[in-house]
Amino acid sequence: MARSIAIVEDEPLIRANYVEALNRFGYEARGYGSRGEASTAFAMRLPELVIIDIGLGDEPEGGFDLCRELRAKSATLPIIFLTARDSDFDVISGLRLGADDYLSKDTSLHQLAARIAALFRRIESLKTPTASETVIEHGPLKLESERMRVLWNGIEIPLTVTEFWMVHTLVRFPGHVKNRDQLMREAELVVDDATITSHIKRIRKKFVALAPDFDAIETVHGVGYRWTP
Amino acid sequence: MTLRQKLLLVALCTLALPVAGWLYVRQMETLLREGQAQALVASARGMARSLVVVDAPIPPAGPAWYVQRTTVPIAIDGYGDDLASLSPWAQSFGRNARVILAEDDHWLYFYIDVRAPQRRRADATDRLALSADHLVVSIASGDDTQRYLLASAAPGATTAIALDAEAGVLPDRINAQWQEDGSGFRAEFRLPRGLRLDRFGLGVHVIAEGDHEPLTAESRPLLDFSPSLSQEIGRLAPDGVRVRVLSDGAWLMAQSGKLDLPDLPYSERPGWFASLVYRSLLATRLDPDSAWAEDAPRIELPEVREALQGRPATAWRAGEARGSVVLAAATPIEVRGKVHGVVLLEQPSRAVPLLANRALFGLLLTSFAVLLVAGGVLLLFATRLTIRLRRLRNAAERAQDNDGRLDGPFPLTDATDELGDLARSFARLFDVVGGYTDYLRTLASKLSHELNTPLAIVKSSLDNLDHAGLPAEAEPYLARARDGVARLGALVRAMSEATRMERAIAAAEAEDVDLADIVRGCADGYRHLTGDRELAAELPTTPVFMHVSPELIAQALDKLFDNALSFTPPGGWMRIALRPTAEGADIELANEGPPLPAAMQGRLFDSLVSLRDKATPGDAPHLGLGLYVVRLVAERHQGMASARNIEGGVAFTLHLKGMPRQRLA
Repeated sequence: MARSIAIVEDEPLIRANYVEALNRFGYEARGYGSRGEASTAFAMRLPELVIIDIGLGDEPEGGFDLCRELRAKSATLPIIFLTARDSDFDVISGLRLGADDYLSKDTSLHQLAARIAALFRRIESLKTPTASETVIEHGPLKLESERMRVLWNGIEIPLTVTEFWMVHTLVRFPGHVKNRDQLMREAELVVDDATITSHIKRIRKKFVALAPDFDAIETVHGVGYRWTP
Repeated sequence: MTLRQKLLLVALCTLALPVAGWLYVRQMETLLREGQAQALVASARGMARSLVVVDAPIPPAGPAWYVQRTTVPIAIDGYGDDLASLSPWAQSFGRNARVILAEDDHWLYFYIDVRAPQRRRADATDRLALSADHLVVSIASGDDTQRYLLASAAPGATTAIALDAEAGVLPDRINAQWQEDGSGFRAEFRLPRGLRLDRFGLGVHVIAEGDHEPLTAESRPLLDFSPSLSQEIGRLAPDGVRVRVLSDGAWLMAQSGKLDLPDLPYSERPGWFASLVYRSLLATRLDPDSAWAEDAPRIELPEVREALQGRPATAWRAGEARGSVVLAAATPIEVRGKVHGVVLLEQPSRAVPLLANRALFGLLLTSFAVLLVAGGVLLLFATRLTIRLRRLRNAAERAQDNDGRLDGPFPLTDATDELGDLARSFARLFDVVGGYTDYLRTLASKLSHELNTPLAIVKSSLDNLDHAGLPAEAEPYLARARDGVARLGALVRAMSEATRMERAIAAAEAEDVDLADIVRGCADGYRHLTGDRELAAELPTTPVFMHVSPELIAQALDKLFDNALSFTPPGGWMRIALRPTAEGADIELANEGPPLPAAMQGRLFDSLVSLRDKATPGDAPHLGLGLYVVRLVAERHQGMASARNIEGGVAFTLHLKGMPRQRLA
């Protein structure tokens, strides 16, 4: 049975495009134009993944409210924010609310699909035993590719899919400098340099929040970043 | 000229006050003097009249002989040595003779000096005497007159022989002394005062000058200083005035009174400063001469000469005592329209009239004080005005430098005067400008935000179109549409980049790092990108620790490098240098390339300013944000960015001072 995805987007044309594309990818997508409409529908049945636009009609931050509502209902429901506003503020706010990823509307449908697939894969892998897991370990770091989990000293770092992909890129070849283009490609991300910087910054923060002496991600000025084991 | 100087200049107008006062006091002084002179003339006139009325022994009209009083004994020797003190007042007679008449208690002395270079000599007893050089002397006492012939062929004693019949007490011969030298001859004789002579006549007959009436003598009355007249005028004279009566020939006939002034008590004496002020500012000019006329028997003063013409006259001259002046008034003594003499009244007074001086001093002090106060008030006013104007100007300039935004309120807007109006106008203007600038600044990001949604529609539609099973011939069009959308997306992103950069830069966090490391890392990174261009790095050997945001520094360097790379010709040189300075560090990126146009220098680091040619089709749009980011980064580090032309290229410099340390809460 196809997985159900809800798209909450006030712009009907985009909504239609997304719904059609996701349906074509084999999901059962359903679009909602407003927060109220979505809330009503979610009250009856929760979808398996929700894509939310931050600005909903008259509510510039309606998406955040909806996200909060949903998190209250389910801690594990994958939520992707989608917005035209790609400023850092929105990014941080969205993630603090517990979104699993954040994408700009620039993102192509293909990239969106990749993320959706990754999120579902993660959910699947969490259900299965860890036997088949591909694990990369570097000192205190333990990276589980399938489950898209990163553990530092055995503590899970709550990374989004995009962030996980970035860390994965860095960790796969420790000591190699990855420039921004490479990171962007690996993370299936279409953003600019500044956004990469803020992603890296946020990843560091997430590590530091749980391991104050974390300094494994090194900036190579003028080039990019590398993982120092 | 500043406003303050102008106002001070205007304040000088108050100088007109003391000038006007000075003119006034001066005029007052002149009037006072005129009044004094007129009063003196009036009393002189009164005296002259009363002298006539009381039948005082006034001198006769017309020429007369004046007999000087001698205090030294005179020897009758024909030489004038003993008369030397009297000779300045010798009375000339005719063309070539001088006569000195003198008297002592007993004798009347006659001394006649004749210039006669060509002589014809004969004794008085000679019958040819009348055709030789000779003198005819006539004397009269009351009704008796007698003439004498005086001549001598040789120097020495001689005798004047009476020419007329015996006449009363008058002698029939007079013993005389005759002396000669190359230029003429002199005769001297004396007669007892007991004769009571009242007229004296003289005829000088020098044959070489032609003589047709050898026996004539011109007789004139004899005058001398008259104690009785002095007494008379003493009675008539007003107090504090010296009165002198002068004969027709300005000879002193009588005198009464003195020119002395009582000494002022020391406290009332004018100080040297007051005297100086008076002399330099107020005093009318004194007639200079004639202090010497004091004891002279003949008073040859201009006012006397004037009076002898029948016109009263006055004069001011310096007095004998220091710091005194004398006012002299001369009026003629007229009897039946004929001038018999002159009454000369002389009134001494203080050289510095205290009244005028005090008035002037008061005036000067007052006006000086007024001037000071007015000047001070104007200066204060001007200073305040200047300060306010300067504040306004500074605020305006600050606002202008700051794109029309001023931190804090605009100054002076509470003022109620014109400056307040001006300030309010400025404030409104800058509000408008600031609003407009803000609008322009946010326009791009707002626009890009609004454009994002339609872009997303097109993009997702194109994505969907991929899967719609288009015919093969539609594929290129789809690709082109996708390309166009991608460029449009890049453009939109670039438009909002400035705002995003500003936000990112403002949010950047600083850490203590080695700047040299950062610059070295960047330079190493850039080497892969320069192609055949040469990139040199000049780094200090010691670490340069600063409190900076390494990401921002690297970002700014990226922009500078990007900029430099695009202007450096293939095979050209580039150079990154880090130099520690007193306050922080300078990072310089120099490159070979065309010099900066002068017109752009000031605006190079502004937003949306680009030196590049129009982007070639297919390139990412260039909005001139690179150097703006550099500037923002520099400013975030309390520094500045600058650009200059160097030999063969340009150099962009980041002057860094380090980011302010945030206090840990």
